Amino acid sequence: MLNQTVFVISDDTAALSELCAGAKSLATRVTAIVFGGQDTAESAASCGADAIRYCPVSEEGAPEDYASAIAAVVKKENQAFVMLHNSIRGRCLAGRIGVLLDTPVLTSVSAVAEEGGALVCRRMVYGGTAQRSERFAKPYGVATISGGAFEPGPALPTTTDIAQLEGAPEGGIRRISRAEKKEGGVNLVAAKRIVDVGRGLAAEEDLALCRELAGVLGAEVGCSRPVAENNKWLPKSSYMGITGVQVKPDVILTLGVSGQVQHIGGINKSRVIVAINKDKAAPIFKSCDFGLVGDLYKIVPALIKKLS
Amino acid sequence: MKIIVCCKIVPNEEEIRVLPDRSLDLSATPWKISQYDLNALESGRQLAAETKGSVTALSVGGPSALDSTKIRKDVLSRGADDLKLVIDDSHSFSDSLETAKALAGALKNCGAFDVVLCGMGSSDLYLQETGIQTGALLGLPSINNVTAIRPAGEGLLEVERTLEEEVETLEVTLPAVLSVSSEINVPSVPAMREIMRAGKKPVAVLDDLGALDGASLEMLEQLAPEQQERRQEVIEGDGDEAVEALAQFLKKECL
Repeated sequence: MLNQTVFVISDDTAALSELCAGAKSLATRVTAIVFGGQDTAESAASCGADAIRYCPVSEEGAPEDYASAIAAVVKKENQAFVMLHNSIRGRCLAGRIGVLLDTPVLTSVSAVAEEGGALVCRRMVYGGTAQRSERFAKPYGVATISGGAFEPGPALPTTTDIAQLEGAPEGGIRRISRAEKKEGGVNLVAAKRIVDVGRGLAAEEDLALCRELAGVLGAEVGCSRPVAENNKWLPKSSYMGITGVQVKPDVILTLGVSGQVQHIGGINKSRVIVAINKDKAAPIFKSCDFGLVGDLYKIVPALIKKLS
Repeated sequence: MKIIVCCKIVPNEEEIRVLPDRSLDLSATPWKISQYDLNALESGRQLAAETKGSVTALSVGGPSALDSTKIRKDVLSRGADDLKLVIDDSHSFSDSLETAKALAGALKNCGAFDVVLCGMGSSDLYLQETGIQTGALLGLPSINNVTAIRPAGEGLLEVERTLEEEVETLEVTLPAVLSVSSEINVPSVPAMREIMRAGKKPVAVLDDLGALDGASLEMLEQLAPEQQERRQEVIEGDGDEAVEALAQFLKKECL
């Protein structure tokens, strides 16, 4: 365990406990930084941190505006590691804090471990082709940590060291409005069975067929990147891959998925992978447990009939 | 509006050779424009058309990536009017701050600009920090995951930013650095006319970077993930027998 402070910063209270449990296993002192008032900080008092500092973000403000205030607090330590929740805001805040601490940022980190007196971060590179382990060569390190990187720790004593973060927000970009996202999200991370739709699907209305199969299997429907981003047939939260959602169901049934490295990186923790694709040379057949080379428009209706 | 689009030239990850010891061989891997920078180029093209502006593409990297005429023409066939390059063999650009410092330095040599557009992340390292850190280094407003850009009068843009649970509409004072999400548009395929014109567009090589601090990260290991054993029972056919085999497999394995 390192004799130093780890700062844990999260705009998501659910992620806070996991990050604090991880931080506590790495270093002697953990300071959590949360966004909200004193009540927010008090409701997080048992997150596992030794101290909690809260940033009272106003309705017009944003967590990112606290970058310089947070960096100033971190700089009071001669050496520190800053871990943030791997959200869009988290990555924005991380980048700004990094510049103020004169350090790069590692994002979407899947594991952090202490090795030889330093913290080593692991993350995927080249679209999932490789995993890279790196450590910071400077006194400060900043990383955004993916969900699941740490085991939730044992229940820890509640801290009473709660105070407002020193320093004021600055450099805010004016927000004209904010609205809740309309698209319905599915929780693919928790799904036990997934039907995975690829570019082999000819038309958007054919999603009905995929949904029917998913219904019979008790599965959720997910897809590869182009189906969500180019065709916009499914919400972005449905695409699996290194740059999308990473899933680990019991079974995933891919329909017309070619099997690019980027996509496989998102589904290869599945216990069983089944592939249906008409192209015999599709790389998905090298990554599947069971595959049919054939027309999904013939196979899927017949399969639905057999399983109903 | 004067727009600068940052493009990274990266090894095509689909063609990296994984050696038996799980290390990577990139010696024969061809270069390509980073996937997500195609969205930034497309956004630049659209914004320039709306504002009767211009697009300069900017890339920083080593000679093996940037000396290629084919790559330069590829960038220039996607809406950029000209291309500026910083060719530097002494930095690896493997950490976000080093890359941001290189870009910030290059941007200072690009003359006045209104907006810098970056992709959401590079398809090789995918750190998603270049735009944010470049903006912060230059003291400019910078924001990530932009899903729409609308001109909003002199020196202003109205920007939509999509977060996990909500969509923000922001008023951004120019100059600014925006990282666009890959959902912002579908990059158009260059027309033959654009490909022909690309060869005639100006390419300028800017001064090299001189001494940067150097990388602040030490790489300890880089290996392909261990291959998970898959049974690869593949049947050719979509007739009743094949579907029956699939149904039996599913029943046995998971239902």
